[in-house]
Amino acid sequence: MDAIEVRQLTKDFGNTQALRGASFSVREHEIFGLIGPNGAGKTTALRILSTLISASSGKAQVFGFDVARQPEKVREILSYLPEDAGAYQMLSGLEFLEFMAGFYSKDRAEMKRIVDEGRKISGLGERLSDRVNGYSKGMKRRLLIARALMMKPRLAILDEPTSGLDVIQSFHVRNMIREYADTQGVTVLLSSHNMLEVEYLCGYVALIDGGVIIAEGTPEALKERYGGKNLEDVFMEVTKSE
Amino acid sequence: MSNLWALIVKEVKELVRDPKILIGVVLMPIIIFPIMGAAIQVSQESVERAIMGASFAVYTDDKGFVTEALLGYLYTNNTVVPIEAGSLEEALIAFKATDSSALIYIPRGYHANVTLGQRGVLLVYANLRNLNMAETQSTNVVTSLINVYNYYFSITKIRNLLEQTSSVGTPEAVRSPIGIRYASILKGNVLDVSPNAIFSLVMGQSIMLPIMVMMMVVFAIQMAATSIALEKEQKTLETLMTLPVSRFTILAGKLSGSIVIALAGSVSYLIGFGFYINSAFSFVPEVTTMNIDDVGIGITPLGLALVGVVIFVTLVSALAMALSVAVFADSVRSAQSFTGALITPIMIPAIVLMFSDIEMLPQSFQWIMLAIPYTHTIIATKAAFLANYAVVVRSILFISVWTVVVLYVAAKIFSTERIITARFTFGDLGKRLRLRRHAS
Repeated sequence: MDAIEVRQLTKDFGNTQALRGASFSVREHEIFGLIGPNGAGKTTALRILSTLISASSGKAQVFGFDVARQPEKVREILSYLPEDAGAYQMLSGLEFLEFMAGFYSKDRAEMKRIVDEGRKISGLGERLSDRVNGYSKGMKRRLLIARALMMKPRLAILDEPTSGLDVIQSFHVRNMIREYADTQGVTVLLSSHNMLEVEYLCGYVALIDGGVIIAEGTPEALKERYGGKNLEDVFMEVTKSE
Repeated sequence: MSNLWALIVKEVKELVRDPKILIGVVLMPIIIFPIMGAAIQVSQESVERAIMGASFAVYTDDKGFVTEALLGYLYTNNTVVPIEAGSLEEALIAFKATDSSALIYIPRGYHANVTLGQRGVLLVYANLRNLNMAETQSTNVVTSLINVYNYYFSITKIRNLLEQTSSVGTPEAVRSPIGIRYASILKGNVLDVSPNAIFSLVMGQSIMLPIMVMMMVVFAIQMAATSIALEKEQKTLETLMTLPVSRFTILAGKLSGSIVIALAGSVSYLIGFGFYINSAFSFVPEVTTMNIDDVGIGITPLGLALVGVVIFVTLVSALAMALSVAVFADSVRSAQSFTGALITPIMIPAIVLMFSDIEMLPQSFQWIMLAIPYTHTIIATKAAFLANYAVVVRSILFISVWTVVVLYVAAKIFSTERIITARFTFGDLGKRLRLRRHAS
């Protein structure tokens, strides 16, 4: 069974058509990259899969659950990290992780295990006791990544996971994502503008533009098909021909 | 730990740790009201001191035993500044040079008029140097002194006349032949208490409750709107909405968290206001020793329980309304502007019904007022004091129906993508208006 199955998905916001029949599938345990220019429909697709908004037409399933008809089931197995997500400013980093872990744990012991995992992923150490309003942008992002991965969801949807992070922090986050996919069996759907990041992380990539998927395949296959040295060349080539 | 409890704890932590809310809602009433009360007390005490130490001047142009008797009364137990002068003009100049604010002038002919059974007229000059309260009060002190003298003087004269004419009756009855005694019928019982005394008692106690309820509702509305706007401003709403917890639980968490802070704000307001009343009006003597239970309008345990239900349904509906509206705001500031529009229909019934009854209003206005659900909160709390439980239950039913409607709307908004996509700013309104103008 595919982790994600999207068929002929459309979404209208008034007169604007954000998605115009997008279709793609994500296999279980895979890191799948959804790339495209600004306004291509990436975030809209991720928001539909995360049950935040509903599609105008088409089908979207997560591990066999229909996102429109069974949103509660979908929310139990996924973790979504929005691009410009924030954390509760008046809580400490630890309180934030504890609050979030509470929704995924049956008892205190399980909650502690999840929070300890979150501590490890964030790498924030003692600073976790400080209130979030004193964190730098990078620290906040690390906390949010930790929040998204600590409960080892079956599916992690990460919108621009390294946005706002410096080179070292981005490296740390990328390794975390890879480790969780490889060792914990987490399926990852991510979107990014950073083509090197996508090439490094993703086993499969779909290029979206104008609300439809215009190319997809493994990074190697795409480079070969479009004659590019890297995904950036592929991206430029594909969007130019479109 | 249940999901709802976790959400409530988070809400309370977020709101109470925000300095704007902690200071503005919880601490400010406790600090500001006692300061206001103390300021009024200091000013009142200084006026009192000024009145107590106030002297008045006396100048007389008249002679005779009637005048002497009046002077004897004025000079006893009062600080009097005697003015020695050849004429009234000189006397006024001398008076202006003193610290006194009032001058009693006994003109020539006072004694003669009184002895001839005519009215003796005195002149009181008030020297208004600074136009403050103490100056006018010293004139009042002089007036009171003369009124007391006037009363006993007239009673003595009437007694003498009654004796001379061998008439029956008492001097007091001749002076004021008709007296009034008040009684009030309350809840079918006749009480030897004036309606004014009962009203001031009810004003002081049972009216305060609905006002406090309304204050709490206003606080809660602000809290709820702030809470949802904070989620949008901090970009946490999307994460919250993808958690494995029902949208209704999230809504209930927000409602409950806001109620907790609103309760804290109301208690703080109550304590602060209590300090204010105690200190600001400490100079006012107790007019009545009556207790609200003595006149049979104390609230019964059943009435109190019903008031609790009224408060609960009122709060839930107001909060659901605030959350539904705040969803359209993109920041805390705009959420607070939106809630301003909600607070008006809540405060209008509270203010109107504080001084009058719904039946006393013009028919059309009555219908408008009755259509506002929060009018029934005031009607119900007042009725609970008078043990009109049928009215209380009717009001509870009305507010409950409204609560269900508003809660349904809020739950709908929370369960759809509107919670994420809804946006409304005053800029949008301006743009729409401009577009309409262009189109026409």
